[in-house]
Amino acid sequence: MRAVADSQWSTVKTASRVIAGSAPPPLQQLFMNNPPTTESFEQLAIPLLPSLLRHALWLTQNEAEAEDLAQEALSKALRAFDSFAQGTNFKAWIFRILRNTFLTTRTAIATTRTSLFADAEEVDALTDTSATPEETLLQLDNAATVQEALIQLPPPLRDCLLLCDVEELKYKEIAGILDLPIGTVMSRISRARAALRTQLQPHFGGRQ
Amino acid sequence: MISEHLQPGHIDAFADHELPSDQARVVQQHVTACHPCSLRLLSTIELKKVTAEAGRRLDPSPAMLARLTARLQQNVSAKPQPKRVLSFQRANFLWPALAAALLLVTISLATWSVRRTHNALSAELLDQHLATLSAASTPQVLSTDRHTVKPWFEGKLPFSFNLPEPNALPPGSTLKGADLTYLGDHPAAQLLFAVGKHQVSVFITQQSSGSPAATSRSGYAVRTAAAGDLRFIAIGDVDAPQLDRLLASLTSVQ
Repeated sequence: MRAVADSQWSTVKTASRVIAGSAPPPLQQLFMNNPPTTESFEQLAIPLLPSLLRHALWLTQNEAEAEDLAQEALSKALRAFDSFAQGTNFKAWIFRILRNTFLTTRTAIATTRTSLFADAEEVDALTDTSATPEETLLQLDNAATVQEALIQLPPPLRDCLLLCDVEELKYKEIAGILDLPIGTVMSRISRARAALRTQLQPHFGGRQ
Repeated sequence: MISEHLQPGHIDAFADHELPSDQARVVQQHVTACHPCSLRLLSTIELKKVTAEAGRRLDPSPAMLARLTARLQQNVSAKPQPKRVLSFQRANFLWPALAAALLLVTISLATWSVRRTHNALSAELLDQHLATLSAASTPQVLSTDRHTVKPWFEGKLPFSFNLPEPNALPPGSTLKGADLTYLGDHPAAQLLFAVGKHQVSVFITQQSSGSPAATSRSGYAVRTAAAGDLRFIAIGDVDAPQLDRLLASLTSVQ
């Protein structure tokens, strides 16, 4: 249906505009002086497939949905690749498309429905006074426990933290992907870590 | 003597290598002299490390990855290659014509861009409305009671709206339910009405979300109204005046 194609297009059209300005990683510098081709898309996208799928898994918490989501995002990105601003960060660009594609799914709407969330005004107001530094010095080697704690985080906090710690994206790139001010990204990362500490408190190592 | 400890946000930004060099130096100097802050920083770095490890545990299976790679390669080979462009150095004689063409394109593009945004919104409205017509689709809130439907949206939308009494709706119109949805990445309320035997969707968004340019799409009438900061967009296969009456009943109570 034509109508469907048009609306899908609308989810990717702003990506290159928002991500523009991010510093290009080395692989992309190879393509800076060349016009975008389907081969260059393939070369840029294939190394990112594990990351895209992993993030899709975190977003959907379902293997089949995650595969469909990553597939749809890649199709949209390929169609929109002509509009990708050469020299900007391809990873941030394609993650934004993944994110926007996810927002149109029923799962995303259901997630929004069940998670009431308000951003804090100030990062500085996030001081966690419940634990002393000695208590929060982690000695965790049980990644499954941390994974469980991550699943329990409110999705808006978890998304920011995963993009920062797992995907190693810069705050500015995360802000572009999630369409948020950088201050909100910082605040969410701080809140996510504070929430993780609280959840993991029983698993922390012994006092120093 | 250090009188104040570092804020958690600063410690996080330092651990994430996000502080400008001058601020990073200040943090570095502080933690060398402040035991609690150095422990907090160590804790943050350790937490960051275990988060990365835990986050990567949710790894896609090799089969999943192979399927995605194969489909990507298939799509890439199916997409036509763009033609090579003429070298600018060899095309000096084209500059005046290019400048004129560029001006024309810029003006056209500005007009086209606005139209495209509005057309995309019309398409999205129709998609969302058609999705609710499917027999398998059940509204997230299924109720004819305005006192059930309106409170359901509390905390889910960045705005609030009122619903008219049932007898204030146009004759033959009944509220059937509602969905939380997105229009152009903006949250919206989708109210579902029965108008006679037809189904009509009314989307409520903030004015800043834009409005559709079309008054009809694929045989469905599209009408728009505004009240305060809210925009009401009705879509359905009924006459436009019926949509206007429905919108009027909604905007009159805002």
